[in-house]
Amino acid sequence: MTASAHSLPRKFRHQAVFYSGLAEFINGTVPFIRQGIAAAEAVLVVESAHKIDMLRTVLGQAAGSVMFADMAEVGANPARIIPAWQDFVREHEQSGRGLRGIGEPIWKGRTPDELVECQRHESLLNVAFGHGRPWTLLCPYDVDNLPAEVIVEARRSHEFVLDGMSCSQSELYRGIEASASRFDAPLPEPPPGVRQVAFDAESLLALRRHVVRFATGCGFSAERTIRFVTAVNEVASNSVLHGAGRGRLRMWRGGLSLLCEITDAGVFEKSLADRTRPSAAARDPRGLWLANQLCDLVQVRMLPTGTVVRLHLYQDARPQLHVVEDPRHLEGASAA
Amino acid sequence: MGVADQPDSQWPAEGFDIEDLAGARAAGRPVYADRHLVITRTQHPRGLRFAGEIDVANSEAVGASLAFAFPEFGDPHLDLSRLSFCDISGIRAIVEAAGALVHARRLLLHGLPAQLETVIKVTGWSEMPSLELCHCGEQQP
Repeated sequence: MTASAHSLPRKFRHQAVFYSGLAEFINGTVPFIRQGIAAAEAVLVVESAHKIDMLRTVLGQAAGSVMFADMAEVGANPARIIPAWQDFVREHEQSGRGLRGIGEPIWKGRTPDELVECQRHESLLNVAFGHGRPWTLLCPYDVDNLPAEVIVEARRSHEFVLDGMSCSQSELYRGIEASASRFDAPLPEPPPGVRQVAFDAESLLALRRHVVRFATGCGFSAERTIRFVTAVNEVASNSVLHGAGRGRLRMWRGGLSLLCEITDAGVFEKSLADRTRPSAAARDPRGLWLANQLCDLVQVRMLPTGTVVRLHLYQDARPQLHVVEDPRHLEGASAA
Repeated sequence: MGVADQPDSQWPAEGFDIEDLAGARAAGRPVYADRHLVITRTQHPRGLRFAGEIDVANSEAVGASLAFAFPEFGDPHLDLSRLSFCDISGIRAIVEAAGALVHARRLLLHGLPAQLETVIKVTGWSEMPSLELCHCGEQQP
């Protein structure tokens, strides 16, 4: 089926655009942006700083009508991207304006673990927005610098594909339901000899001491160590509260990262649980949300035997914790 | 509660900042005390002082202490400057205590460790009208 490239959607339209070289990137994105501006829509572009500069130059004065945010910040941890888009949609809920966005979460420099989580993120976008108000999200993919299997996966996670000038429904699209399915992609094994320790409610304090010793022993700063121990403690608390009262922890060093994995017998099926912004309601769960705000990467696996959560903390400070008190932070990044 | 079966190693026995807790206990009969947390009353301003660590093992006790220890009038104050760790369940207990205040009363938090303030903000609890994060004469570790 062929649809016009940028027709007004009647539902959430998740569309990949494959580009080879920056000229194709411009051709694939600028008309989409201009159409949004012409229709007085709210347009948010989450791209690399370099591409944002380029788009501003090409758009000229029109760039003033577009909001920009740096994907290296918003999407450093890919689980923070959906909440950012949700803020964007929520912000314009009342206005009745049309919405469109561009987001490129996958680039050449992503680590293998980040790539897997980015691909999961792309699928979860269908779950987060597929039943909500209509808007269009365009996701550019750099075919020159990404492996062929990443492009195939993009055809599975996006309902529409814009390739050159033709836009078509993706034959491989997995649909909303399958996008929400239990995620059990295997995690790479830690190096041999990594100790596993068991914990319960009574040993959480000793667990925190253990994590602090390990992190500082690896040369992590006090600030980053506290950040990590706070996240580990919350995930371990989830095991205590929802995982049969106990869990197991493994911790190791991987390159410049510190990794901590917590396994328990609890089963949860809510695919967006780790990226749902909590409301002020006291009872809203917050553990995995907080872990995603504090850590550089969080990998959640829902297995028939229980839940595995693997936390990554990078030694060098990547774009840091985004303290988002005001959901309109993305406006702050908009053009003057 | 014991540790789970067949751990590869046991947790080493650790000190729980015993000197700190002993000092807090000596300051008056505690409202609550366990191995790693002591809660005592303060008179000027009226409220509670926390020393030690709060997690899921004792946050319920924290909630109970907060529920009965507040005076009926005025704004209760919490001195958190000697709180070396507080998880989400502990913050939740404090937030719920603030939410239970009526007649425009507010719960004032003093000496909030920087990391705890960050967590309160990230978890969406900093906008509660009845909860105030005070920076008056703040004590930093």
